[in-house]
Amino acid sequence: MESNPHKYPRKIIHIDMDAFYASIEQRDNPEYRGKPIVVGGSPEGRGGVVATASYEARKFGIKSAMPSKKALQLCPHVLFIRPRFDAYKEASQKIRAIFHRYTDLIEPLSLDEAFLDVTEDKLQIGSAIDIARQIKQAIKDELNLTASAGISVNKFVAKIASDIDKPDGLTFIGPSRIEQFMQELPVEKFFGVGRVTADKMRKMGLHTGADLKKLSQDELTRHFGKAGRFFFNIVRGIDNREVQPHRETKSIGAEDTFAYDLTEPEEMFAALERIALILFDRLQRHNMYGRTVTVKIKYHDFKLRTRSQSFPATVTDIVMITETAKQLLVATGTEDKKIRLLGITVSNFGEVPVKQEKEDASGQLKLF
Amino acid sequence: MKFIVSSSALLKQLQQISGVINANTVLPILEDFLFEIEKNKLTVVATDLETVMRVQMDVEANENGRVCIPAKILIDSLKNIPDQPLSFNIDKNFAVELTSDNGKYKVMGENPDNFPKEPVADDTTSFTIISSALVTGINKTLFAVSTDDLRPAMTGVYFELDEKYIQFVSTDAHRLVRYKRTDVACPRKDAFIVPKKPLNILKSALPLNSDELTISYNSNHLFVKHGSTQMSCRLIDARFPDYKVVIPADNPYKLTVNRSDFQSALRRISVFSNKSTNQVVLNIQGSELNLAAQDVDFSFEGNERMKCQYDGEDLAIAFNARFLIEMLNAADSGEINVELSTATKAGILKPVEVDENEELLMLVMPLMLNN
Repeated sequence: MESNPHKYPRKIIHIDMDAFYASIEQRDNPEYRGKPIVVGGSPEGRGGVVATASYEARKFGIKSAMPSKKALQLCPHVLFIRPRFDAYKEASQKIRAIFHRYTDLIEPLSLDEAFLDVTEDKLQIGSAIDIARQIKQAIKDELNLTASAGISVNKFVAKIASDIDKPDGLTFIGPSRIEQFMQELPVEKFFGVGRVTADKMRKMGLHTGADLKKLSQDELTRHFGKAGRFFFNIVRGIDNREVQPHRETKSIGAEDTFAYDLTEPEEMFAALERIALILFDRLQRHNMYGRTVTVKIKYHDFKLRTRSQSFPATVTDIVMITETAKQLLVATGTEDKKIRLLGITVSNFGEVPVKQEKEDASGQLKLF
Repeated sequence: MKFIVSSSALLKQLQQISGVINANTVLPILEDFLFEIEKNKLTVVATDLETVMRVQMDVEANENGRVCIPAKILIDSLKNIPDQPLSFNIDKNFAVELTSDNGKYKVMGENPDNFPKEPVADDTTSFTIISSALVTGINKTLFAVSTDDLRPAMTGVYFELDEKYIQFVSTDAHRLVRYKRTDVACPRKDAFIVPKKPLNILKSALPLNSDELTISYNSNHLFVKHGSTQMSCRLIDARFPDYKVVIPADNPYKLTVNRSDFQSALRRISVFSNKSTNQVVLNIQGSELNLAAQDVDFSFEGNERMKCQYDGEDLAIAFNARFLIEMLNAADSGEINVELSTATKAGILKPVEVDENEELLMLVMPLMLNN
């Protein structure tokens, strides 16, 4: 990240599909068009959550990840639709095929979002703005869906740009505008700034990129550790992270619904151990290990809770996953709780250290 | 500002803390020592933003003041100046002039206000430890610390505190060392991970004697005080692996060998081992220990045989010879016990004789045998 290996500025496009799941449902079911719809769990009993809300539903304040019950309160005539993931995956693949006409440097972030490096595009169009326009048009013509595009010289700015003019937007932030743009950006929009860091920054009187920019690298490092250097660069519009193809999976998980509600911590722990085994098997098959372990708990009243913990490095051993899951469960309180479902998810994947693989090949056994 | 100091005394102090300074740093001021004079006391500080070290000494000074002086050029010059009182003259623009019997030397200093502030030692917990206990704790564990930045928790030594003892633990995922001192009482159960670099500096700066050190820590930093010498460093903000679960509770077979004989044999044999694995196969039958190494690519082969005491089933197990050699180094005992179970389970090394207030346990994972 320190040195820019590129001789010239890169051209990065971030494509973000607009209300992806909901748009597909509205496309395939004419009766849903123009109506507030929510793709996700039903609000009745089953503790469902909103996966995607159509733009009509968003007007009522309905957002992703909101409990479906709350969505119903906000908009009593909202329609709940069960997700059809096969349809979304199919659409996602078609969109990806469109991307591939222009470049092979594609980093999908999920089914509906991807980074493209079009510094050298296959069709030699040359202009990233034209490419983005053509991609949007192709998505509209061939899939009857709309996407928003952000274009800039790095991933960070491109991603923020795509969010500026949603839906069906196209925003270009060129090198000359980056610095000013970053200055006006609120701190919580910065990559890696979660709630806790944002709170800390606000307490320090840091509200925008401009405030961050006043600090020296040395000061940022003192307050935010290694992330400080990232912030130092990013407020100056420097982000040399590459677009990395082949990073499709965002999370891998396993869960189990129980025949009867679990009430004893021992039973819950045993269940988590079982689930961790299944999960670990999947992680190994994908050869993917993540930094974040999330526990999902569904209670007898179908209330759903998730708790997660992130580690600075990928978690590669099952004991750590199991123990983390148990601790997270304990943190939610297990007394007087009836648990119907438990799940563990690992996300935040990094590459598995190459060195480790080598050592495994050499036959050196590991403790962790 | 002007002060006079013994050249050799100053050099000695500077060398204690110069290890903190990185050769290629981003901020030029980090290549400097901060000199602070207050009431005839000179304090010198070095930092790399993660680790800060300060030493203090008496000088003759006409006034209080501060200046940053480039470290490398200062040390290089002091090394070559015969022992004598050296006078430092610093002007308003932070130009530093050294005057010795041999001549005058000039170097541009920097504004001390730009020198990074030290972490504040607030909300700390403190305890005392004798210097040799800390130095031994570092010496016995530092070698097994991981260099894998992707797993930061293992790139430092884990300090595990208890009201009755202190434990130093390190691991690189292939081996693990735990050194316990029961002659140290900590205020409460607690734990933190100290990065490698400050420990390396501490072990060379601290004496191996019974001087009392004060250790203070909070959630972010560790502070170690030895007389007027002080070090602080940022702690590694990560969770140390739950190492206790990987320590085998009961390895049934026990091999006892002379430590230095075993180590010498491993050193000789490993010359002939495959350089990427350093694999040495231990074949234990009755009271005989066979060591074998080979490198098929170059047709190298080495075999040795030594006497041992062994209580267990015949066993062939392979280890990385370098791991064993380093561990045997850390176990200063005439004889060593190696507790084993199967060819794919961790082996445990323990010195046979230890002081009553010490405990050393070393764990090493084998290499897979391909047959």
